[in-house]
Amino acid sequence: MSALFRRFGSLIGMAAIVVFFALALPDTFMTARNWLNISQQISMLAVVAAVMTVVMVMGDFDLSVGSMASLAGVVAAVLFVQGWSVPAALAAAIGVGLIGGLFNGVLVSVIGILPFVATLATLTVYSGAAFLVSDGKTIFGRDIPATFSDFARSGMALGDIDGRPAIFPALSLVALAVTAIVWVVLEQTSYGRRLYAIGGNAEAARLAGVPVTVLRLSAFAFTGVGAAIAGLMYASRVASANPVQGDGLMLTAIAAVFLGMTLTENGQPRVLATLAGVVVLGVLDNGLTQMSVDSYVREVLVGAIILIAVSASALGRRGLFGR
Amino acid sequence: MTLSLQSLSRRYGAVLALSEVSFDIRPGEVQALMGENGAGKSTLIRLLAGLERPDTGQVLRNGKPIALGGPADAEAAGLRFIHQELHVVPALSVAENMHLHHPYPTRAGLVRWGKLRDTAKRALARLGLTHIDPDAPMARLSASDRMLVRIAATLITDGPSPWLYVMDEPTAALTGAEAERLFDVIGELTASGAGVLYVSHRMAEVLRLARTVTVLRDGRHVSTRAIGDTTESQIIADMTGRDLSADVPDRTVPIGTSPLLQVAGLTTATLGPVRFELRPGEILGVAGLAGSGRGALLRALIGASPRRDGTVTMGGTSLTRTTPPEAWSAGIAYVPRERRSEGLMMHRSIQENVALPHLGPLARARVFLNRKAEARMVAKRGAEVRLKSAAPSQSCDHLSGGNQQKVLFARALAGSPKVLLLDEPTRGVDVGAKHDIYRLIRSLGDTGMGVILASSDLPELLGLSDRILVLHDGQQAHLVDNTGLTEADLLTLCYTKEAAA
Repeated sequence: MSALFRRFGSLIGMAAIVVFFALALPDTFMTARNWLNISQQISMLAVVAAVMTVVMVMGDFDLSVGSMASLAGVVAAVLFVQGWSVPAALAAAIGVGLIGGLFNGVLVSVIGILPFVATLATLTVYSGAAFLVSDGKTIFGRDIPATFSDFARSGMALGDIDGRPAIFPALSLVALAVTAIVWVVLEQTSYGRRLYAIGGNAEAARLAGVPVTVLRLSAFAFTGVGAAIAGLMYASRVASANPVQGDGLMLTAIAAVFLGMTLTENGQPRVLATLAGVVVLGVLDNGLTQMSVDSYVREVLVGAIILIAVSASALGRRGLFGR
Repeated sequence: MTLSLQSLSRRYGAVLALSEVSFDIRPGEVQALMGENGAGKSTLIRLLAGLERPDTGQVLRNGKPIALGGPADAEAAGLRFIHQELHVVPALSVAENMHLHHPYPTRAGLVRWGKLRDTAKRALARLGLTHIDPDAPMARLSASDRMLVRIAATLITDGPSPWLYVMDEPTAALTGAEAERLFDVIGELTASGAGVLYVSHRMAEVLRLARTVTVLRDGRHVSTRAIGDTTESQIIADMTGRDLSADVPDRTVPIGTSPLLQVAGLTTATLGPVRFELRPGEILGVAGLAGSGRGALLRALIGASPRRDGTVTMGGTSLTRTTPPEAWSAGIAYVPRERRSEGLMMHRSIQENVALPHLGPLARARVFLNRKAEARMVAKRGAEVRLKSAAPSQSCDHLSGGNQQKVLFARALAGSPKVLLLDEPTRGVDVGAKHDIYRLIRSLGDTGMGVILASSDLPELLGLSDRILVLHDGQQAHLVDNTGLTEADLLTLCYTKEAAA
């Protein structure tokens, strides 16, 4: 029983949160429409958290994802203003993400700066670049092409729910697709296995013939691209772009990965566990908002729940519970 | 004042590291403690330092038993320990480092920096170390000066002054001139009445400094002789004498003729030049004292340290810029010395550890993991190396040292390499696993694989090797056929510098 609790305690806690809101909000929480809504609310976070998992698997992390998301959003918007077509502008914005990610990778793996320091610096660089590109202004209204902003409102038709037509949001589909790709890469390819090996023991991996430098570099590039995609999703959803709109994603994404790590056997980052962490954070946000809990109180509660989950998991691993 | 060790024994699992060891240590002189790796020197020091407790036996000071329950007891008994790896705080000054184990002198809660410096300065002066500035940051000092500062710091004490210093390979990281300074300080210490238990592999130092020499072998006390009554060859004879012939089966297949691996002029930052050829089925031993570059040679061959000069040729093709991925794919496999830090991903499964270098060839379409093929590989190689585990999914941190080593062997063999590099393959491994590993190495040689075996265990080298390469300070000193070679011969080669190569 205690072993079960150690293994699944976190999962039970997460289920308890859902049950709590289901009881507290009997009419509105456990509805298909609300869950579709949650899925769209968390879609950007899910993408950033999934690609954050890729670097965290190696024991690294990337603090620049939030400002990269903002930068990608304003780059696309500015290119729209200059008359670029939607596909071209999106490709350019994702290209910025790729270059930014590669730059992080070079700093961390070739030059050998600690990821914390390197990506803290690039966080500032990318954020400053976003202000420069956008001139510090929000780009919105007629400057944003309808085909771009309509994407976030579109989706897969699910037929009528409660007499009204319902859709599975396109942004949620993108999030699922990114998560699925990351899952395949991390769990089903030798590339992913090697990333886990670097996280397990970088020196041993190097001596066993794993090209550590190249892999770390490429993983950061992966994360940069993912962050740019999340920034574009955000811009599409709000039909505008400003140089700070993605900034909040970074800390929440890292929190989601840590929450997910409390679910896994050895406390390793796994992308499906990360997704569970994202869902819990999304449910908390949604449920507490519906209960009209003040947004400042909400932040305190979310932080406290993360701390409880991670502490319980750390104590469990040290055998203070049960055994 | 005399310290008497009485029948000290300590067992680790199946290994009896120290067995009924008794001898006396006297003040006012240097007593050398010698023995090969695994002879029990480290265990003895750990017992004296209170880091571990003996299973049986006791330590008497002037006939009275002393408690050795922890480091504090050893300190109260007047013992001080100088290890080769010193714990210093590089950012703090010399004087502050000297006070790490004592309260800083204070007045009204504020540190009296002047007194702190004076105390440090006086302690340094007592050992004649006037060239060290107590205000200098520790980071700026050489390795030897750091050690001398540590020794001087032991003179700052509130209780009775220390009377016995235990020095473990103190000159391992020092140059000749730096060692001279240490010897002067040791002279000062003994002149002031303190004793020194001096652990070293370096014969010349021992013969020069020590008044008595105690030799351990296989955890047993062999001899304690006055330096005037013994000779270098006598000490070597006392240290050696282990017989492994029962453990190591004889070669059954002759060595091939065409060279498999050719190394010429191989040079790295700490090594070389080294030149040798390895033939199919040959086992080449690499011998040398601690720090002579045994491990560095293997690291250069697997591509872990950059090559400055020289060529490495495998079966006719030259390996240009060797990196570990290149070396592995050329058919070189490596079992590193440090299982935990260099070898295994401790928290990952046996299967993941074994498959790691072979993921590419195993994968479907070179990309997708093929867990079934991995499992077959682990089953096959695990059986070959006699790995005992519950399941391939078992995490490596739950395995014994011997089985962890076998996981690394399974990993190295899984790609059917042509050349196998082994660095201290039986270090920290129990007797049974050792036996398995010896048989395995022999059988690999018989299949035509070339093996390079770096080891500090001389009987192991003599039992398995066809030829032995002896390194001295990173340079190739001897390359000898292992026919009729005795352990004493080999140890003598390790001690002598004349390049015969």
